[in-house]
Amino acid sequence: MTHFSYSDSPYPIRDDIKLEHRQYWQRLAGAGSWWSGDERVAIAAESRLASHCKFCAERRQALSPYNLQGQHDSAGDLDEVAVDAVHRIVTDQARISQRWVDQIADDGLSNAAYVELAGIVVTVFSVDEFNRALGLELEPLPEPVDGEPSRYRPSQAVGGTGFVPMITAEGATGAESDLYRGSRGANVLRALSLVPDAVRDWRRLASAQYISVEGMTNMVKQDDRVINRMQMELVAGRVSAINECFY
Amino acid sequence: MLRASALTTNTEIDLQGINGDASAAAVGVEFGAELMQLGEAVAMGDEAQLSTARQQLVELAGAAVLVDAAGVAANFQRMVRIADAMGIPIDDMTTELGQQVRQELDLAKYETAQNSAVSS
Repeated sequence: MTHFSYSDSPYPIRDDIKLEHRQYWQRLAGAGSWWSGDERVAIAAESRLASHCKFCAERRQALSPYNLQGQHDSAGDLDEVAVDAVHRIVTDQARISQRWVDQIADDGLSNAAYVELAGIVVTVFSVDEFNRALGLELEPLPEPVDGEPSRYRPSQAVGGTGFVPMITAEGATGAESDLYRGSRGANVLRALSLVPDAVRDWRRLASAQYISVEGMTNMVKQDDRVINRMQMELVAGRVSAINECFY
Repeated sequence: MLRASALTTNTEIDLQGINGDASAAAVGVEFGAELMQLGEAVAMGDEAQLSTARQQLVELAGAAVLVDAAGVAANFQRMVRIADAMGIPIDDMTTELGQQVRQELDLAKYETAQNSAVSS
């Protein structure tokens, strides 16, 4: 099937948005760096369950998100550590801590696998949120494609910035020389760089849904958008405030 | 970024629109109140609120504005989760503009402020 035709949309969807959503779905279906196509699509499916998970709703009300025990509303296709990671990222991301990221690594979810998982969760969530914002049905997930994860971990990734190792602005060389092109390598761009393809996904989706990395310095208006930068940043700021995001 | 954009275009704005004040959101930003309310409804996950916000924005500003705004809201639902799931700090805590904005919006109250070594 052709994904993201948006034929049921009462609003005209820009072609660049359709294209990026469609291309991401293709990449989602195949093996990544640390997860197979089956697992990546399972992570995507799990991200859709998190928003309605009763345990997540209960945990959000708890003083500490780390003491409450319970069962997520889960498809059961991933192990418990991965399921919990998916659900936390969707529903309680502001209380994720270094200690928890270290703990899940001890429990078998390596930093690199966590980063790829997070990249999938946030991208699928974002695509879904676009549809939801417009009152549209969610796109059916793609059929997984066979293949083995590459297990590629960039040697230049180093700790010290956030919860996981990242590639510094100066370290984006060789195969990773494209990662921060056109930018100074802000932390939010570097955040997923332990899995370089996750950064590439980051850039592509941002170009369609927001603005390109290269266009971030344009504080007035991008030619192919109908809203100007102030209008964009007002929306962005309100979304960030509701999510209690300091960054 | 809103403040930076306003400074670039020499536009007077009221940052309290970010905190949900509709009249503040309208200062200097065309369709500001309706855009703010759409972003709020997306982030709150309230379908009824979202339906109302979507309808108001379409009627006032048109479908193309709604689609662009939906893209931005969806993108920042992603960005905030990347930032918090990876625990990244603010890139530069020392810029005067950033300090002013964080103070004006009282951002240090957020739990994720500790990722930038800030205590409320």
